[in-house]
Amino acid sequence: MVHLQLGHLGSASVFLAFALALYATVVGALGAHRRDARLQTSARLAAVATFLVVATAIAVMEAALVTNDFSVQYVAEHSRVASPLWVKIVTLWAALQGSILLWGFLLTAYTALLAFTAPLSPLRPWALAILSGVQVFFLGVVAFVANPFHTLVNPPADGPGPNALLQNHWMMAVHPVLMYLGFVGLTVPFAYAMAALITRRPGSEWMVQTRRWALTGWGFLGAAIVAGGWWSYEVLGWGGYWAWDPVENVSFMPWLTATAFIHGVQVQERRRMLKSWNVMLIALTFCLSILGTFLTRSGVVSSVHAFGDGPVGPAFLGFFVLVTLFAFGLIALRWDQVRDRAELDAVVSRESGYLAGNILFLAIAFTVLLGTLFPLLVEAVSGQRVTVGPPFFDQVTLPLWMLVFLLMGIGPLLPWRKAEGASLRRNVAWLAGGFVVAGGLALALGMREVYPTLTVALAGYNLVSLGLLLGQALVPRLRLSKRGAWSVLWSYAHESRRRVGSMIAHLAVIIVAVGIAFSSGYRVDQQVRIGFNQSATFQGYTLTPVDRFMERSASRISSGAVVDVSKNGRKVATLRPRTNVFGSSRQPVSKPAVMYTFSHDLYLNLDNTIGPDTSYVVLRTVYSPLVSWIWFGGLLLAFGVVMSLLPSRRRLAERRAELAAEAGAEERSRA
Amino acid sequence: MSGRKLAYAVLGVAVLAVAGVMLYKALNNSLVYFVLPNEYAKDPQGFAGRRIRLGGLVEPGTVAFDDNTLQLTFTITDSIKSYPVAYKGAPPDLFKADQGVVVEGRFRGGTFVGDQLLVKHSADYHPPAPGQPIDVNMLKQTLQ
Repeated sequence: MVHLQLGHLGSASVFLAFALALYATVVGALGAHRRDARLQTSARLAAVATFLVVATAIAVMEAALVTNDFSVQYVAEHSRVASPLWVKIVTLWAALQGSILLWGFLLTAYTALLAFTAPLSPLRPWALAILSGVQVFFLGVVAFVANPFHTLVNPPADGPGPNALLQNHWMMAVHPVLMYLGFVGLTVPFAYAMAALITRRPGSEWMVQTRRWALTGWGFLGAAIVAGGWWSYEVLGWGGYWAWDPVENVSFMPWLTATAFIHGVQVQERRRMLKSWNVMLIALTFCLSILGTFLTRSGVVSSVHAFGDGPVGPAFLGFFVLVTLFAFGLIALRWDQVRDRAELDAVVSRESGYLAGNILFLAIAFTVLLGTLFPLLVEAVSGQRVTVGPPFFDQVTLPLWMLVFLLMGIGPLLPWRKAEGASLRRNVAWLAGGFVVAGGLALALGMREVYPTLTVALAGYNLVSLGLLLGQALVPRLRLSKRGAWSVLWSYAHESRRRVGSMIAHLAVIIVAVGIAFSSGYRVDQQVRIGFNQSATFQGYTLTPVDRFMERSASRISSGAVVDVSKNGRKVATLRPRTNVFGSSRQPVSKPAVMYTFSHDLYLNLDNTIGPDTSYVVLRTVYSPLVSWIWFGGLLLAFGVVMSLLPSRRRLAERRAELAAEAGAEERSRA
Repeated sequence: MSGRKLAYAVLGVAVLAVAGVMLYKALNNSLVYFVLPNEYAKDPQGFAGRRIRLGGLVEPGTVAFDDNTLQLTFTITDSIKSYPVAYKGAPPDLFKADQGVVVEGRFRGGTFVGDQLLVKHSADYHPPAPGQPIDVNMLKQTLQ
């Protein structure tokens, strides 16, 4: 008799979920095509059932991980008895099969949420059918290609544990989830866009209905990228946060096209322009997220990050080809309806600013794609193995970013349709003033590097722009109101959340840009050898290794040095850079120690292994100015997104009215 | 086609052409070739002054590390050709004789001066028994 195991329950769940998703797709599409409400309802219920079944699969996997059930292959290959509980829980997404299961789970969760909360519209049935179709792919991969629930007949007593680099920092528990929330969130507007094309309703309806989803997905993806950068900084030991590695690039490309999309949407909402452009951007975003998964999970591009070549490569490549053909085929088929009939009224206007910004984002995305894929091309043509170094990406994208910042300042100040001469000249004069003052200050303080100096000048220019925008909004309100400035600002922020949210987001972008400019332009990186109880100076700091330590816990062994950091004879910090060895893997991973300050970080990474009789430490010491501005800016950006997502009071009232109307309509149709 | 549209089209093509040339130049300048010592030996002129990634095995008995100046020197080999390597920095933890390594840097004279040193620990590749020849293709596969 076969003993029923957790693995069987998990496998049964994913097979059932696959079947349900297939049902929801076919019946949903049929119901949408025939406008049959019963079929549509059946598909909606199937979408909810899919979610519940996948949730069961997730619960089964978590149960297997937490109870060390090594009869489940995924647990046997990636978990370990001695790991702390949190590591066991996040091991669900520490390796390929589990993370695809998680991706599928989030997709079913979003779809089920949408099936229940999305307002009734002609688009909804098709959008749900498309989302279910995407689920069929992911759940199919989970069930047939990379099933994490395979059971082992002779389970081992213990496993190797997850990849050491992932156990080394708690951020790895957060970063992948943020990433998938981003990808999945951006799938919703994609599905609605396709639904709009299928139903020949290419107006703004699909965008307005998915504005929140798009912004949420974009926000999560951005947060994931910043979180990933911080993880690299805290773990990889070279004191940097971005290396233009393929794995980083493939998450960056969809973010760039999504950034273009959320900006392009504004133009379509206000001017009914850029219809085809927006549909293409969201389709591109979705295709790039699949392509990225293919590139990093199939081993076709080499990366410093540890990703094995799994069996899912061909599946993702096939799906990429399929969705690209489907999406762009559909756009071609409906070209007559989506192409713009209106033309730009004037070269200098808000909409042309948006358009130029969009082109820049696309150009950057294309550059990143080219640099990422070029090694493949060269190898295919000449058989030579090459890598494209960071200089390429920097050389090409930095000038483009400078143009983006230029547009970010002037764009929001331009009126729609056509800019008037007088006010335009006045605004440009103000902006130029900000540019010259900030740039001059940077030069006076001794900055000579081109891009950091230019970034400071453009930061000044953008701050002036934000000041002008706020002034334009507040000055008339202050004149009309008897209240004080703060109270007016407060109520303005409440009324115009989208506008204020975008200002906060732009401010955050300036802060991140300045952080990147300084930390990459003025970073000092040295390797020093210091004997114990001797001192070395580095950037005005005196570093003294005073002791060595070794800590042993069930899951890891750490050894390292205790380094006193003093400045002008005063002790400012004690840092403990170390190397960790996790479990049975003999591979030591270093864990740098960082002293965070507002103006710069002092970063120490241990480059030799400290044993009981080691007499000196070799430290990689990195001094990077303003690097913490990047993390702070990332948080502020997330805050700006949340701000624009919060419904304004007016919008809440509208929504209540819509719901009431919808309920009335449903009652009438039943009657 | 109206004059204005023609002007836009010409402008667009010109911008694309300039962008294409710039992209090509930037790409060509930042390509880093991955080669084994014997491949470099075939065409040293072709790689003159270029940044490359040199892969091979650490030749036993050649490793010297001065822990005062943090200067590491060793010989990298693919059994056909060997080159001395100079690297400023402490050897990584898994660095040892017969280990597969990839060094990134440039040739200066006859010495390869590296600024990045990666130890490749692959489960697939085992150094041959002493006296046995190295399978160069296999080595290249494992190191990249």
